[in-house]
Amino acid sequence: MDQPSELQLEASRSIPDLSLTAIEQLMAGYQQADAAATSALIEQLSPQLYRFFAAQQGNRDDASDMLQDAWLRIHRVRHTYRPGEPLLPWVYAIARCVRVDSYRKRRRIAVREIVVETLPEPAVASGDFADLPHFEQLVADLPASQREVLTMLKVNGLSLEEVARATSSSVGSVKQKVHRAYERLRSLLQPPRAGKGAGI
Amino acid sequence: MTNGKRTDTQPIDAKMDKMLSSREFPPVPADRLKRIEAAVVSDLKPVQPLASDGAYLAGLAGIFVAVCVIGVYVLGQQGWRALSELQKVAVFLPLAAITAVLAFSTVRQMRPAAKYARSSALVSGTLFILLLIIMAAVFQPVQETGFIRTGLTCFRTGMTYAIPAAFFFALLLLRGAALSPALMGATAGGLAGLVGLTVLEIQCPNLNLYHIVVGHVSVTLICVLLGVVLSSAAIRNAGHRIIN
Repeated sequence: MDQPSELQLEASRSIPDLSLTAIEQLMAGYQQADAAATSALIEQLSPQLYRFFAAQQGNRDDASDMLQDAWLRIHRVRHTYRPGEPLLPWVYAIARCVRVDSYRKRRRIAVREIVVETLPEPAVASGDFADLPHFEQLVADLPASQREVLTMLKVNGLSLEEVARATSSSVGSVKQKVHRAYERLRSLLQPPRAGKGAGI
Repeated sequence: MTNGKRTDTQPIDAKMDKMLSSREFPPVPADRLKRIEAAVVSDLKPVQPLASDGAYLAGLAGIFVAVCVIGVYVLGQQGWRALSELQKVAVFLPLAAITAVLAFSTVRQMRPAAKYARSSALVSGTLFILLLIIMAAVFQPVQETGFIRTGLTCFRTGMTYAIPAAFFFALLLLRGAALSPALMGATAGGLAGLVGLTVLEIQCPNLNLYHIVVGHVSVTLICVLLGVVLSSAAIRNAGHRIIN
């Protein structure tokens, strides 16, 4: 019998709990009505989903509501996940649908709504970032589709391929949106050049 | 010049990357998380994952062929006999291609995040426009008496077969999760409309281009429209019922 080497044991210990395989196994358990797997899945995915909603909404109550709505929908359509396929694009496709529906709903009642609580100030506001505007200020200026793709890539850490599947678009289209978002952000962040156009 | 620009933007890009990825968000409110968990766990039942795309494609194809066969059996195939060889190829080859791509798109839309769901719907739309152009090339426009009456008769006949097909398609597709009800309705409605169009092309011997466009092709277009309206309304209502 081969004993696992010290190196293999070390490598197995270094595998993060939130690996895709682990999440997909939990999802399979959820489909089989395993309560422990379901709770674990909710606990692992909820912070990511909450970040996704909060990053684009900037309102804690709305983000919580959308998280709950997302789980209701995930629960209702959990049979449409096919074991063996990547789970995150499936989850984010549902999440973005929830976000769009919520946006439409809020827009209809926007005139009567009073925002009672907003997200606290970003924790990082010194050092490298002292001269930069806050996250919300930055992304608020982007079109919704660019903001969504940027959030998935940079805040939620999805790959280009995963974002493309979640948004029903091609990798090329995702790259183009990110490129445009970066161009826009650069123009916001770059300090105006002194004497530009006046020094000839 | 480009390199100079890239060097200029590198520090700002690095800062942006760092800021976007290190943005800290407050944790999910614990009470909300517990409520979600409790709600989901209390309603747990084992579910059977969706069957393969191939199985659903076979189902859609089965319904399509069955309704067409019934239509041809009841109404006859005078239209098929009236068509020249070139017209048969020009009409039925694109029809088969559109049906296949549309069925593929419809099945793909049943699962969130499935690849090529939207792009294949666009391809089928393009193919449909191509079919119209081909029809305009192989059929001649003729002035005929009773144009409206014959057009309406064919339209009614087409809808008579498209509506039952739509009903059976809906029964099959309801197990999926349509994240875009309008698109799902358009593609499923389009498929049902193509059933009506196919039956009419085999049955109707009138080769007048105007008649074909108004009496036959309009069945597909109306079915797409009805599909969009009905599926949007039905899925929205279902959503409200479940959430409330």
